[in-house]
Amino acid sequence: MKTPLVNMLVLVFALFATLGARAQDQPIGYVKTVAGEASITTAGARVKAEVGTPVYQGSLLQTGGKSSMGVTFKDETVMSFGADTTFSVDEYLYAPAQGKLKLGSKLSKGSLNYVSGVIAKLKPDAVSIATPTGVIGVRGTQFLVKVED
Amino acid sequence: MAARPAWLLRTVQGLAMALALLWLAGCASTPKSYVLLLPSPDGTVGKVIVTGANGEQVLDKAGQAASTDGRAIAVPPPQVQLDKDFSTTIAARPKLPVNYLLYFTTGTTLTSESQAQIPRIIADATSRSSIDISVIGHTDTIMTAEYNEQLALSRANAVVELLKSRGLNASAISVESHGKRNLLIQTPDNTFEPRNRRVEVSIR
Repeated sequence: MKTPLVNMLVLVFALFATLGARAQDQPIGYVKTVAGEASITTAGARVKAEVGTPVYQGSLLQTGGKSSMGVTFKDETVMSFGADTTFSVDEYLYAPAQGKLKLGSKLSKGSLNYVSGVIAKLKPDAVSIATPTGVIGVRGTQFLVKVED
Repeated sequence: MAARPAWLLRTVQGLAMALALLWLAGCASTPKSYVLLLPSPDGTVGKVIVTGANGEQVLDKAGQAASTDGRAIAVPPPQVQLDKDFSTTIAARPKLPVNYLLYFTTGTTLTSESQAQIPRIIADATSRSSIDISVIGHTDTIMTAEYNEQLALSRANAVVELLKSRGLNASAISVESHGKRNLLIQTPDNTFEPRNRRVEVSIR
């Protein structure tokens, strides 16, 4: 049974987890569009995705049935996800002045519309999207991908 | 009952067979998990390399597709299939980011042309539901690296202040200085170059 105290503790824990994630990293992108149910999970803390919700390195992006979400990253990579999607941004480095560029991600299920940004322009082999059955290497372009069991 | 002419029967049978084959080919050629290359929003077509247990496919023409496990797809997925799989995904795509370059006469004073750009930048930003903005300052190569790091930062901050004072309401603004490390026009050190004295504003 959930008591108000338990709810409060859960909230406080979630808040600390979020603050912890924030202290480590700057956001690497922001949610720009949402329809239906979508969430961002960072360092174990799950938040409902809304326009303006930050995305961090390591975040897990999820959409529910009949839902969608769009995210724009710091390097101007633009991604949108269709229904029932699970996508993670495992590695994201964007420091062009130091030549540190990397976008390593995984589409576990669902659909993605990808438009490449500066990382793919400056370092063509730095962008990869893993799927359960393979890896997509990107050389600056737009594409669609669907993953279904 | 009049007998149907044999040629008509053959044609009908032929059509039915062709349709059935097309239908089968359609089923067989589009796997459940696949990648499809589109042109970039600027019209150019890049390249995607799909690697998996069943091979490696290089897609470099718009409309080409491959199975995510690296198998080739001979017949591209039909439009009805694409609509079914991707119409909501595509509809969720955020507005593409836009970039502006603002130039300076000296110090942190904008050129009059760049001054005139400010209302457009604000209008552009206001048309978006969520705004994050990156402002990056740059200098030419006159003076030391330290001096220019500071000057480029002052330029970026001056632009942020100006945008805010004109009513810009952004949820996240990042300000950076690239000093003289990131020249637009390559020059030797200690070179006067107005095109390098700039601030890049990216609205995402």
